[in-house]
Amino acid sequence: MNRRTFLTTALVGTGALALGVNLYHPPQVRVSASLDQSHRLLFSLLVPVFLDGALPNTQSLRVAAQNRTLDAIVATMDLLPDESREELEQLLELLESRLGLLLLTGNMTPLLMRQPQELVAMLEAWRSSFLDLMVTAYQGLRELVLASYYSCPEHWTRLNYEKPRLFN
Amino acid sequence: MAIEDPIVTGLAGGWKHIDASQLTQDQTLEADVVIVGSGAGGGVAAEIMAEAGLSVIIVEGGPLKSSESFNMEERRAYPNLYQQAASMKTKDKAIGIFQGRAVGGSTTINWTTSIRTPENALRFWAEHKSVEGLSKEALAPWFDKMEQRLNITKWPFEPNRNNMALKQGCEALGWDYTVIKRNVAGCWNTGYCGMGCPVNAKQSMLVTTIPAALDRGATLVSRAKVSKIEHHNDKVYALKAQAFTESLRPSGVQLMFKARHYILSAGAIHTPALMMRSQLPDPNKLLGKRTFLHPTLLSGALFSDAINGHSGAPQSIYSDQFVWQDGADGELGYKLEVPPIHPVLIASKSLGYGQSHAELMAQFNQLQVTIALVRDGYHEGSPGGQVLLTDKGYTLDYPLTDAFWRAARRAFASMAELQFAAGAQKVLPMSEGMPYLPSWQAAKEAIAEMPLAPLKTVVASAHVMGGCPLGEDTSQAMVNSQGRSHYLENLSVMDGSLFPTSLGANPQLSIYGITARNASLLASELSGGV
Repeated sequence: MNRRTFLTTALVGTGALALGVNLYHPPQVRVSASLDQSHRLLFSLLVPVFLDGALPNTQSLRVAAQNRTLDAIVATMDLLPDESREELEQLLELLESRLGLLLLTGNMTPLLMRQPQELVAMLEAWRSSFLDLMVTAYQGLRELVLASYYSCPEHWTRLNYEKPRLFN
Repeated sequence: MAIEDPIVTGLAGGWKHIDASQLTQDQTLEADVVIVGSGAGGGVAAEIMAEAGLSVIIVEGGPLKSSESFNMEERRAYPNLYQQAASMKTKDKAIGIFQGRAVGGSTTINWTTSIRTPENALRFWAEHKSVEGLSKEALAPWFDKMEQRLNITKWPFEPNRNNMALKQGCEALGWDYTVIKRNVAGCWNTGYCGMGCPVNAKQSMLVTTIPAALDRGATLVSRAKVSKIEHHNDKVYALKAQAFTESLRPSGVQLMFKARHYILSAGAIHTPALMMRSQLPDPNKLLGKRTFLHPTLLSGALFSDAINGHSGAPQSIYSDQFVWQDGADGELGYKLEVPPIHPVLIASKSLGYGQSHAELMAQFNQLQVTIALVRDGYHEGSPGGQVLLTDKGYTLDYPLTDAFWRAARRAFASMAELQFAAGAQKVLPMSEGMPYLPSWQAAKEAIAEMPLAPLKTVVASAHVMGGCPLGEDTSQAMVNSQGRSHYLENLSVMDGSLFPTSLGANPQLSIYGITARNASLLASELSGGV
């Protein structure tokens, strides 16, 4: 086994570990770490950052809104054409691996171990990057999270928006 | 009050509809004419062919959905009715594209704006693109016919507040504006045209021409995607299609369609992509090239009063003040309109996240949005994009050129000037790094210096055009001015892919009118007339 293969196996093969799931697992997130095919844990870290200021302040409502958003994200991803979904999966897998984190964020600290302001710094770095790849990573995640959140009628109260009731 | 769903009623009355997702065995179907796609081109062609007594099969890749399922929620409408669940983007992801994918095509989800092809466009096509017989005068009777058929009339009611701002801004500045003609009958003025009309007031193909064709015995096959045009010796002899599952993935069932004549109406992008995949003759390498989008910029404005941009006819005013200002092939012009304002649309087509985004969304009902649709394809620095085939489908490579960015800067300035003139408190050009601008003077200075670039500036499109141009000169046209292939005698194209440039106007009525003319000529020939 050459050194490159060894590194890849050691660092990429343990996605859950890289994400930090063995170190900390937020109790309110409905997820089985070993069966997290839909990246719920990763999104449970990103959702509060993207939706800071939009999520309800009351803890129980906030948790419900986050879980609803995670469900909507999974549903949205399922609707994407194969090529877009594969691109997104690649990005999410990179974010769940230590080597991927090093490539995308410049350090290997699992996302779960990072403070919200560090996650903001990560997103801001991508957003203003001179590499189109990083900008599209930011925009892809941003659009997925925001569109999924605002697709739920339960989240429209703050907007004073509701669809008309035509037939009653 | 319940609204009758004409699709439910028609199906119960015996329409011939095959939902290919329910098929378990391969099938071959035959008719005089097979039409690929059921949007503005396919719908009009289907009715005209059926009226001429020809047997017709309409093959649609998307599902048959109707008012019964139109619940005015983006989370249902986008996956059911839009290409790629409304997430389609150009190759570099710099332009988001909205295009329909359901029976009725984009007419099921468009905003009803109906504008005849501008004379400047027709003249340019005649002078530079070898198009014959499509003058303003020659097309007038066809536009008359389609305006009557689809009840296209000037919107008689007060514009909603979002459109009113556009009108007031134009009035204050002395700019041109027009009250829009809409294809509606008995409109409830709800503002949800983009999610499928819930009350069947929009005279889309879904509730007009397609039902008329089905009433005359046409067959509709939904959830079947034509994947190959089989051709030999200057003739098409069959179309091959894949049946899709309910979630629009190939089911493994194959369909074959045979006809005397084949009409491609799958829309710009899909019509040229199908022709490319089928390796149709294209000696001058024109297919898929010169695809145009009216790439569109957005400017948000906060008003002190409620705008409620989600409510009321989504588009009722436009301004052509800047569309043709420097001549057809001069600096790129832009048309000013407004979009409907719904949560997912605005959340995704604005900038940033976290607190700043939440604050913008909290002012949702005070938000006015103006859009500038850039007229591409005339200036030499605006060659449009190119459809490319990929392993799994297609992509559209559309580089945004310097000529476009020069127009974008002027457009942002015009939109800000207009919004302040209409009473905006502050204006937010949708481009990274731009703050809320507090006055026209501040906006003028900031916009002159603002950085503009792909992926930094929000650019969207709802008008895909070109890629299979019409005209008599084969060095620049794939089909003749009647939409007939220059290379295959029993193949026609009738959709927005025919346009040799963009239009400088919302495309649906142009497709209706030109298709009505070309389909009538073809029907006459096929049914034995002159």
